[in-house]
Amino acid sequence: MTAIAQTRPTVPRGTAGRRLARRSARYLFVAPALFYLLLLMFYPLAYTFNLSVFDVNAGNFLRGGAAFVGLQNYLDFISSPDFLSSLAITLIFTVGSLVFQHVIGFCFALFFNTGFPLSGLLRAIMMVVWVLPAVVSASLWRWMYAGSYGVINAFLGLFGIHTTQAWLTDPSTALPAVIISNIWIGIPFHMMLVFAGLQTIPTTLYEAAAIDGASAWRRFWSITAPLMRPVILTALLLGFVHTFKVFDIIYVMTSGGPANATNVLSIAVYKLSFEYFRLGDGAAAANVLLVIPLLLSIVYLFFRRREETSL
Amino acid sequence: MMLHRRRWVLTIIGVVLVAIYIFPLYWMVTTSIKPQSQLFTSPPTWFPTSFDFGNYVTAVFGNAQMLRALSNSFIVSIGTTLVTLVIAAPAAYGFARLKLRWTSLLLLPFLLAQLLPTINLALPMFALFAQAGLTNSPWGLILGDTVIALPFAVIVLRPFYLGIPRELEEAAEVDGCNRWQAFWRIVLPVVRPGLVTVMAFTFVMTWGEFTLGITLNPRQEAQPVTVALNSFIGQYGTQWGPLMAASTVVAIPIVVLFIVFQRFITAGLAAGSVKD
Repeated sequence: MTAIAQTRPTVPRGTAGRRLARRSARYLFVAPALFYLLLLMFYPLAYTFNLSVFDVNAGNFLRGGAAFVGLQNYLDFISSPDFLSSLAITLIFTVGSLVFQHVIGFCFALFFNTGFPLSGLLRAIMMVVWVLPAVVSASLWRWMYAGSYGVINAFLGLFGIHTTQAWLTDPSTALPAVIISNIWIGIPFHMMLVFAGLQTIPTTLYEAAAIDGASAWRRFWSITAPLMRPVILTALLLGFVHTFKVFDIIYVMTSGGPANATNVLSIAVYKLSFEYFRLGDGAAAANVLLVIPLLLSIVYLFFRRREETSL
Repeated sequence: MMLHRRRWVLTIIGVVLVAIYIFPLYWMVTTSIKPQSQLFTSPPTWFPTSFDFGNYVTAVFGNAQMLRALSNSFIVSIGTTLVTLVIAAPAAYGFARLKLRWTSLLLLPFLLAQLLPTINLALPMFALFAQAGLTNSPWGLILGDTVIALPFAVIVLRPFYLGIPRELEEAAEVDGCNRWQAFWRIVLPVVRPGLVTVMAFTFVMTWGEFTLGITLNPRQEAQPVTVALNSFIGQYGTQWGPLMAASTVVAIPIVVLFIVFQRFITAGLAAGSVKD
């Protein structure tokens, strides 16, 4: 490959006309993808704004003639008693999942990074959980959380805790139970990101530190932690946005219940739009749901750019 | 020698930890093949002593809805994979060769798309597709799933192209290839590992997609397999044997694909999310 590159003369830069043709060709490569997103992502998103300022419901959706209501749908959603609790549940779900996913994933990555025999195989086996369809994981955890004969209660029984607690149908345990399932699902993602980051740290740094008499603890805080900072930030930001928008796992496990205990914002949007068929209200709620990921993506992009220029 | 033994001790610890971690998968598969008599015992039957594949007949092979859903999912996943690949392969190449100022601006939609909650896409898409007669159709779902897969594909593929020296195409152009031919004949074969990553991952993503499935294709004959599995939960409630059999069948294509393309998938993902 490089041999070819070295033996060929470089292309003469040519006339202005040829340069323009070359440059526009590059845009032709990206045009279909941009057009696709414009038509099937940006147009629908703009259409959501349109829906959100009309009183669109089952009666007038296909017939047309929904009344213009301005920002009323937004006000209705934000001032509804369920909004603040949904926001709180979403944040608890997101932060609760993320902290444990990342810490446990980090520990696994450090462990695998020692490079013991078969570590690659074991790492690959863990990744299977991450590619599993969310609906499969969710139905599997429903069975494990079952009150009678559920394996989690049986497991607790091994330690002398005998209970027939139905974890997912009790409002006080449903949210922690869903969070635990989601932690299980997310561990490999964080493990993979952190592991890839750890691999880029030259081992000579650790060897030098070890010669200087630095303890393993000291080596972690003085070498690993600072060098891994960009990876940790990326994992946490991406993880936050991905967890904030989770719909499928919770919907299949609890549908937002019992008694709204797991009613995250994405499920609230779904219920408004597809169960009550109040599309106008649903659209307003969807746009509210978008605010936090949007703010975080700005942070993320800023962070990315800074990383790019510092490279 | 001491060091050698210590490394194998780590392996043993690793096996135990990973076994605990993937225990839920073991439980899913064993539940699906246990005879009813071993399903509801206290303490539970940790190691089944006899096997019964009847659950698979009940849940999948004798269940027309599930068979239909499986074929729907194959059609939609393969369709989405092809459409994504055809659009993403040239796009990622273009982004690898654009001037940097424009790259970051034009890449922005692709980065933002990855952060978009699927329900935000599902709602307006349902409204638009319902008016266009595209709901409950494999085509509509392919169009929708591609919106999710495409940005990811472009972001993951771009670094593969960045690794190719520009001189390679310039040499091809000296030899009389136009830009398109240079891309098709010279560049594309070099990024084959990237294309495999994108193919495998798009299939995995689309096969497991649920939110667009339940909103755009809710009708029984058009449901993808994830939506069928969810309605199965409603129908069969606590008949855990058949439910775990159905879950296992939904998981199998993904697990097989993952085993075959494991190296491509993890390497590509790491490249896409960290380095780029």
